[in-house]
Amino acid sequence: MTPNVDERIASIVRALSEVILPHLPPEASLAQEQVHLCIGHLQILRAQIDQVPAFEREELDDAIAVGRELASTVTGGERTTGAVAAIETSVAASNGSDVRGERKAVLEAVDELVRAVSADGSPDGKASLMRVVLQHEGPRSLKDRKWFAPFGFDTV
Amino acid sequence: MSMTSTLAPAIATNDMEAINRRILDRRATNRSLPPYRAALIPEVTDLLSSYFEKVRPGAAVDGVRRVGGGASKEQFFFGLTDADGTKQQYLLRMDPRSAITETDREREFILLEAMAGHVPVPAAAWIDAHGSHFPQPAAIMKVVSGVTKPSGSGVKVSGLGTYLGEELRIKLRDQFLDHLVRIHAYDFRARPLTGYEIPDADPKQAARWSTNYWHELWCIDEGETRPIFALAEQWLADTMPDCPPENLVLTHGDYRTGNYLFDETSGVITALLDWELARIGDFHEDLGWVLMQIFGTNIEGTFRASDLFGREEFITEYERRSGRTVNRKTLHYYDVLSSYKCYVICAANGLAAARSQHNHQDVLLTFLGTATAIFAGDLVRLLGQGEPA
Repeated sequence: MTPNVDERIASIVRALSEVILPHLPPEASLAQEQVHLCIGHLQILRAQIDQVPAFEREELDDAIAVGRELASTVTGGERTTGAVAAIETSVAASNGSDVRGERKAVLEAVDELVRAVSADGSPDGKASLMRVVLQHEGPRSLKDRKWFAPFGFDTV
Repeated sequence: MSMTSTLAPAIATNDMEAINRRILDRRATNRSLPPYRAALIPEVTDLLSSYFEKVRPGAAVDGVRRVGGGASKEQFFFGLTDADGTKQQYLLRMDPRSAITETDREREFILLEAMAGHVPVPAAAWIDAHGSHFPQPAAIMKVVSGVTKPSGSGVKVSGLGTYLGEELRIKLRDQFLDHLVRIHAYDFRARPLTGYEIPDADPKQAARWSTNYWHELWCIDEGETRPIFALAEQWLADTMPDCPPENLVLTHGDYRTGNYLFDETSGVITALLDWELARIGDFHEDLGWVLMQIFGTNIEGTFRASDLFGREEFITEYERRSGRTVNRKTLHYYDVLSSYKCYVICAANGLAAARSQHNHQDVLLTFLGTATAIFAGDLVRLLGQGEPA
């Protein structure tokens, strides 16, 4: 690819920083703020863009892992059983051909299981749900925090 | 998750304040509206001039300039000179088409009027509650001097993580806490606030109104679910604490450093700002919000809420000054609710406003959206801790 993505983003950042920003009048505070944010966004995108496919693939893998473990450990009544079956279906349908769509489908099935367990999950099922979700979401949220740490809100 | 997602029984009801029902209906209806464009200074000047021709004939508008730093409203400073030559500085606070929070200008205006003389607030001046003159609902208030952060403290989006430093901390901390205690002491039964309903139909109504409102906002804005979010939401629905009548107070809703003005030299708080999320509810709801990690500083392992108080120090001082007893289980519930609210704000409300191009600062909203991961981490930590004994 010529020019490559890195070169293109770098040129946009330089234009914003060195040509556009200095020419904004002092009273154009909103425009100045937004140019600064655009520059920040683009710099982070530039640093992360090559890693995005792998990050999103890992998100899908993590969703499948939590779905699988929930499906194999959570028990309950009719609604819970139906939700477990829906997770199994969504996990089975995930082959990486549509990473974002497959992840969304698995997580929506997990969402329904959480509601179902509240309605008719067994006591063991409720305990398993809490344990499994926390066990998987701890490391997952840490990965997300590290990914977004360059935005400056987090000190992880 | 769509608006038709299967809700858990405890949060499937429609029980909430009437005003919040209207706010949510408005947000849902507005989704189909065309993009919103940031107002230009000459346009705002014309709008203000024509407005004051009606409400203050002979007065002249000048010096309109945009206020930076906020994440939700369009705000402009301007001068207004009366026919007799008297000049006063005002602030125009106007809704974009949709924002990171969906609130009501009239409700905020009513509260500012009620708080005048009770705690320091900007004086409410004029209101266009339904956008009959301005393109969107708008309020005008007198400008109060002061800053929201020390000069030279750098750019902090929406005042998050503002570091005050020891000198200012000493000057501000008592006032910060005393003002919160004063807000909670407001006698809303003796001095009713128009439109502010009291959640006293049953002991769980205070918690239910809040969780219902935020859950429905999430659904309207089609937030993307994840297991810890679903678990937290269901936990909030299943474990709502009772709120005895004596624990019902006027809550500020967004009480933190960044949402008050202070004189940088004297350290005197000159105005408490951003009352748009105020409601009558459980006092623990404000405490949980104040104690959020994101609104504080964490320096060399020491956490300070709003860079003013350690967690335990804040709780015990609040108890001592208010005469109230903090129920640790209830506070834990509102700790979780606070992180849940922030998750909804960042992951659903802000991103939906940006996606629909209904805001004047989409790029800020997507920037703030990256903080979602912090709140997911908070929910893991809080639910992992379990309820205090």
